[in-house]
Amino acid sequence: MSKGNRGRDRTAAKRIVEQQKAAERRRRVTIWTSVGVVAVLLIAGLVGWRVLANQDSGTAQASTPSVAVDDGTAFAVGSGPVTVDIYEDFMCPICHEFEQQTGPAIAQMVTDKKVTVRYHPVSILDRASNGTEYSTRSAGAAAAAAVDGKFVEYHKVLFDNQPEEGSSGLDNAKLIELGKSVGLGDTFAQAVNDKTYDSWATKATETFASRGYNGTPTIVVNGKQVTGPNESLPTTEILTQAVTAAAG
Amino acid sequence: MDLKQRPSRLTAAWPWISTLARLGLAAVFLIAGGLKVTDLAASARAVNAYDLMSYDTAKVIGAVQPFLEIALGLLLLIGIATRLSAAIAAVVLVIFIAGIVSAWARGLQIDCGCFSKGGELTGGRTAQYGLDILRDVGFLALAGILLWKPRTKFSLDGLLLGER
Repeated sequence: MSKGNRGRDRTAAKRIVEQQKAAERRRRVTIWTSVGVVAVLLIAGLVGWRVLANQDSGTAQASTPSVAVDDGTAFAVGSGPVTVDIYEDFMCPICHEFEQQTGPAIAQMVTDKKVTVRYHPVSILDRASNGTEYSTRSAGAAAAAAVDGKFVEYHKVLFDNQPEEGSSGLDNAKLIELGKSVGLGDTFAQAVNDKTYDSWATKATETFASRGYNGTPTIVVNGKQVTGPNESLPTTEILTQAVTAAAG
Repeated sequence: MDLKQRPSRLTAAWPWISTLARLGLAAVFLIAGGLKVTDLAASARAVNAYDLMSYDTAKVIGAVQPFLEIALGLLLLIGIATRLSAAIAAVVLVIFIAGIVSAWARGLQIDCGCFSKGGELTGGRTAQYGLDILRDVGFLALAGILLWKPRTKFSLDGLLLGER
């Protein structure tokens, strides 16, 4: 064995030891970082779970408006044999369109005692009011109006004064002012300011979702959802036909 | 072994390509989670709109998912256990794609809720499942790069392994 060879053997052995050390280190790092990743994800999941539980206990204590029907989710208008459920968000432009287009026909059917309309205010567009949660606030205000016997009137002024989707919506002072314009008084104002029915609105929206509905307006005649072609907004004619068919 | 090979230009470039993939994927998850975390009820409705589970289950998934997305985004951002993180991201993306495909196949008209709270698609708007899937496949490709070449620059993995 020459000297040079021995030297090469020694460096080779040294390199092998170094490689083993590096491999060992890599193994340790991989194991511990993997454990870390799994732990972080588990914790994140638990945080989500906890936040949900907290929100649920909030809505569980919601005060349901005394006049609400249908599991406390709706306000009934009229006394006809056919039930028309209308799920609306006061921020939703297409709901406004529906009210303008078909509202008068519905009012006529109520007068003619053909239908009972159950209005379900829901708040699915809270994201569209710059964090002021206009959908929830307006639905809560509508509930307060219903308790004071002015749902239909208040429902109308809310749509007549609908803020633009994506704006901050109407503030509470404006909601109260609109209430005054239809004859609502101090108890209404207090309910709006105290957000008395806001968690109720959240709960009613959950019921809406749990019934399998996703969008607003959702119009249901005697338990059957009514839409236009391609799940578009039904025309007045389509709705009238559905009511006639349901009346038998 | 890398030591013996003379590094080609591509080998030298891989850590940088992987770094871009890692940061891109991190941004995807952070944004997707961040947009949902502020309104968990909406997130629950988005999950529920897929009509694949009961509302109560959808509620839990909808609440947990944004937090998981943010956590995964942060893990990718700092680059810890990159290969595992990328694998988890890939699994999650495959589940998302499967969900969209199933909604498409059943003719549901929903917003995928990928980068929003989704759920409700009202009259006039149509679902764009094809684009949603294409985008998710793109993200899946980023995860694929990381699975294949998990070594990246500016990562905690690199720091812990004593790489520069």
